[in-house]
Amino acid sequence: MLRSGGLSPTDPLVARRRGNARLAAAVAGALALLAFLGRSSDPAAQRLNPEAPLTLGAALALTGNANLYGQDQRMGISLAQGWLEAQPHPRRVALQLEDGASDEPSAIAAFNLLIRRGVIALIGPTLSQQAFAADPIAQRQGVPVVAPSNTAKGIPQIGSFISRVSAQSSVIAPLSIDEALRREPTTRRVAVFFAQDDAYSTAKTAIFQKVLAARGLKPVSIQRTQLADNDFQNPITAALQQRPQLVVISAQAMDGGNLIRQLRELGYRGQIVVGNGLNTPNIYPICQRWCDGVLIAQAYSPELNTPVNLAFRRLFAEANQGRTPGQIAAQAWTAYQVVFEAIQRVQKRGGFEGLTLGEARQQLMKELLSGRYDTPLGPIRFRPDGEVVQGRFYVAKVRMDSTGRNGRFTLVREQELPEGTP
Amino acid sequence: MIDNGLLVQMILGALLGLSVYLPMAAGQLSLATPAFYAVGGTLAALLSTQGNAQSAISLWAVLGEMLLAGCLTAGLALLVGLPVLRLRGIYLAIATIALVEIVRVAILNLPFTGGAAGIFGIPQPFQKPFGYVLFSGALLAVCGWLFQRLEASRLGRSMAAIRDDELASRCMGIHTTRVKLTAFLASAVLAGITGVIAAHYLNTWNARQGSFDVAITTLAFVILGGSRSWLGPVIGGLLLTALPELLRPVGDLRLVLFGLVILLGPVFFPQGLITPALLERLGRWKP
Repeated sequence: MLRSGGLSPTDPLVARRRGNARLAAAVAGALALLAFLGRSSDPAAQRLNPEAPLTLGAALALTGNANLYGQDQRMGISLAQGWLEAQPHPRRVALQLEDGASDEPSAIAAFNLLIRRGVIALIGPTLSQQAFAADPIAQRQGVPVVAPSNTAKGIPQIGSFISRVSAQSSVIAPLSIDEALRREPTTRRVAVFFAQDDAYSTAKTAIFQKVLAARGLKPVSIQRTQLADNDFQNPITAALQQRPQLVVISAQAMDGGNLIRQLRELGYRGQIVVGNGLNTPNIYPICQRWCDGVLIAQAYSPELNTPVNLAFRRLFAEANQGRTPGQIAAQAWTAYQVVFEAIQRVQKRGGFEGLTLGEARQQLMKELLSGRYDTPLGPIRFRPDGEVVQGRFYVAKVRMDSTGRNGRFTLVREQELPEGTP
Repeated sequence: MIDNGLLVQMILGALLGLSVYLPMAAGQLSLATPAFYAVGGTLAALLSTQGNAQSAISLWAVLGEMLLAGCLTAGLALLVGLPVLRLRGIYLAIATIALVEIVRVAILNLPFTGGAAGIFGIPQPFQKPFGYVLFSGALLAVCGWLFQRLEASRLGRSMAAIRDDELASRCMGIHTTRVKLTAFLASAVLAGITGVIAAHYLNTWNARQGSFDVAITTLAFVILGGSRSWLGPVIGGLLLTALPELLRPVGDLRLVLFGLVILLGPVFFPQGLITPALLERLGRWKP
């Protein structure tokens, strides 16, 4: 082994090694200082200022491939904020919105940041996969989380502080298949498409396939696609050779929209049933006039005639050139509304008097789970484990206008599900 | 302000940067780091979720997982490295990207890795991020010490010689295949054990953790930090992981700014932030 001592001290290699060691020591010192300064990350032990507004944090996917949903959610939350602020309320609430991006580390960073800033509760993250990463952090620090759009199995079961207003996929999925079969009872040949690298789509297709099996239908073709795919000619050609009468798609907005368009362009004329991932008006510009006729089960119908939904529709239309809101925006509104109303109820009872932030978070979680809420989704409440109980679900059909660039989800069926259905 | 949670991610970034740097120090552009990172993470996720979900896990068990992950990734690297390291330059890069893709699709489709949703409820060895900071910081310190030693050792100098001219170094009697394979193996082991820590820290593990995007991000650590000294990728990893979070006050423009940094970094610092000339000046400096 060559030793630096064997070389002249003026040797550039020796100087370089020494420089390296010095810089390394400086980096190590800086890291140690950062670690020391960043230790106390949660102001949970501080007393609440009775005059100051309570801060509510939201970590949404404003960037990355889930940003189509995140933008809808930002809209829903800010509309809810404006509307609820205008109503009389005893405690002011401030909102802090952070970008949780579409990956796990960013969601964790956004949650950590908001918790450190002393939020009383969190809304988000957008994707279920992110929730599995970020929710345990909120749970460990005792911060209530309301998920606006996590539909995967097992989210509220992460812990006692985790709840959601988005009904699990397994509740909604069967309705759209049943509607398709009601329209064409002779359907025997079904083709299934799903994005195999997406947690939501694989979970959804499993539910769809279970429903199909329960109705005695065995898929004639199962095609796997990828989230980032643009060209679906091969899987579509393979599926169409089996002459399907019904196509069932589990995908996200971008790839699913393209898939529908290419299915129609390649000559498929039968019914199409899609999953929750396409439950956003953002698909209209993607599949355009080819979106027409697609069947989708929803946890929200814009046609629900209640004061809160009418207000939501009106505000959404004012902010979006007359567009009709979709489920993602409605669920985000609902998430903000339930936390806001729970805060006001605790405040009215004098519940926040003399509490530390940590105790206030516990109080709020208890109140959140015990309340009943009248939201744009209809009346909802929570099960003790944080799962949403929603009685009414809908099947909608996409209707595109004559320009082929804009459309809406028209209600075709409404169904009351008995409470407590998993 | 940088909290301990972000600091853990920064240190993990620095470790991944080192993993990309190792083959590069021997002149090989390998982008296989995310594949071994994913293997390590998946192994840790599988092993630690065998018992009760969400229960605690001892530090010894995590060290055991790291040992196993090290052995597994070393074996895999040996298997892949022998044929793949015959390729050079861009061809090696493409072959290693293919490896990343194969591992990703395998994790996605294996019956026991949870498909696209992945494995969740991974138990925690530490209750607070500070524990992770100490643990991963210690690993980084050990790696730093080893790399500092390596640069003055026969192996380190052989690697530098191969990077400068492979043919000439072979003529000098350096067993180039063995040296390149050793660097590739060490890189794989480092990525594997980093994956173990990351799986516990992230609470969940899925196929997306080891994607082509990660390959590019980790390569950017080395390019921006500098590829002529081990401190380059460390500083690149620390800075580029922290930057998107530090730019949060800018709001929606933060990723645009982040992209600009990546774009302008190589323009203004073609050799990276840490250059041999800078280190030499630092070494000769007398207070």
